[in-house]
Amino acid sequence: MSLHRDSADEAFTFKGGMLPMTIMELETGDPERIRLQLGNKRTHSPAFFQHTPVVLSVEKLDEPHLALERICAVCRDHKLLPVAVRGGADPVRQSAWALGLGWFAPLETQRVRSLASVDQATEPPEDDTEPPAQQEAAPAEGATRLYRGTVRSGQQVSAAEGDLVVVGAVNAGAEVLAAGNIHVYGALRGRALAGIHGNPDAGIFCRELKAELLSVAGNYKRLEDIDPQLLHASVEVHFHRQQLEIKPLG
Amino acid sequence: MAKIIVVTSGKGGVGKTTSAAAMSTGLALRGKKTVVLDFDVGLRNLDLVMGCERRVVYDLVNVIQGEAGLNQALIRDKRVDNLFILPASQTRDKEALTPEGVAEVLAQLKEDFDYVICDSPAGIESGAQLAMYHADEAVVVTNPEISSVRDSDRILGLLSAKTRRAEQADEPVREHLLITRYNPDRVDSGDMLTLDDIREILAIDLLGLIPESEAVLRASNQGVPVTHDAESDAGLAYADAISRLIGEDVPLRFHEARKKGLLSRMFGGGHR
Repeated sequence: MSLHRDSADEAFTFKGGMLPMTIMELETGDPERIRLQLGNKRTHSPAFFQHTPVVLSVEKLDEPHLALERICAVCRDHKLLPVAVRGGADPVRQSAWALGLGWFAPLETQRVRSLASVDQATEPPEDDTEPPAQQEAAPAEGATRLYRGTVRSGQQVSAAEGDLVVVGAVNAGAEVLAAGNIHVYGALRGRALAGIHGNPDAGIFCRELKAELLSVAGNYKRLEDIDPQLLHASVEVHFHRQQLEIKPLG
Repeated sequence: MAKIIVVTSGKGGVGKTTSAAAMSTGLALRGKKTVVLDFDVGLRNLDLVMGCERRVVYDLVNVIQGEAGLNQALIRDKRVDNLFILPASQTRDKEALTPEGVAEVLAQLKEDFDYVICDSPAGIESGAQLAMYHADEAVVVTNPEISSVRDSDRILGLLSAKTRRAEQADEPVREHLLITRYNPDRVDSGDMLTLDDIREILAIDLLGLIPESEAVLRASNQGVPVTHDAESDAGLAYADAISRLIGEDVPLRFHEARKKGLLSRMFGGGHR
């Protein structure tokens, strides 16, 4: 029987989480130029280079093939640990996987895709409300996740790739997360984190604002920071001019 | 086959045991063969509230561990036919309850009774989860205060994830809201959450509203479930809740402040 699950019986549990991550945005694919700049930086701030995990963003590069292996080697020489690559063409993605690195979709297409996919409204199964189950049932890339019902205290509902639409309330002590936008057709009393992979264009929309925490791409406001006049109003939340902006809807 | 109903809340001290005792008594008074189980191993109270603490020989843990038969452990209520109590153990700890053992006991009780009422311990750990696991319906007991409402919300989340019905993708557990210790005067003065506030947050059907009442304290201390105090406000309110539980449609009462007469307004009335 699966009721009495001692933590000793389980090898692991899946948990959603947001970790601070340094993104290394490459302006060039030339390993030697990267080595040169890293050498300079390291003399300035040696404390930073302590096996710091980094995500290599190659979005700005227009090259179909990259010397990814050599770039990674240069990084490791300087005590940076590449853990994933963001963006790039298919060969880049393949070589990232071959090197044991993760791959993230580039920001720009992520945004376009998540907005476009609202129309398709693919509906993932609704019965999974505890975090481990959601990880397994994560929808296809860019898909909108639709959740009907109240998200209750202690529950976490996330859309790892696209938007999250909640038809119901998000209660205090509950948490909703999405790579894209979060829409709550009800009262938002819990925590809402949009753009969890760093998309600053993501937004949060809700019918009644009473959120414990609002966050877009890691920029957050606590309930205490929210203008009391906006409480209980229908609002949208965006990251604008380096801060979180809350505006009444309509 | 019996319906298994768990009385639960998350938070302690909100009136789970009082409600389990009152509702099982009410069901038995209406001719339903009912058994009420105390799952609060180590902190048992149900036997006191039911007034049978001097007749406990064996308990739930003894049955599960094979030291006594179910019929030896069941205590017949002195006041109502059709009502039985299965007490918890005061000397063992919560680990004594095994999922397999609980499943077996409930399966046997289900054969013989119309209603099996499980009085859950407070908290959200294994004891509370065992009490709710086999439930067909749940009565979530909530006080009109914010921490109680939040804990009830948490329990509702567990009911939709950690029960047999949820795990087997069966029809979900039917959830009922039972608000206890409701004091309309204190609601009006802003000391307590309103009925509408609670219903809006928890978003489940209201089974009943039990007013804050001296009758409840008296009943607990005398070991006579408040349902027997049929003239009292709390006794009437529990009777209403039981009617709704068995499918009758009765109007809500005790949710508005009593209009104060001239004399009580002059002399302060007898509230609080």
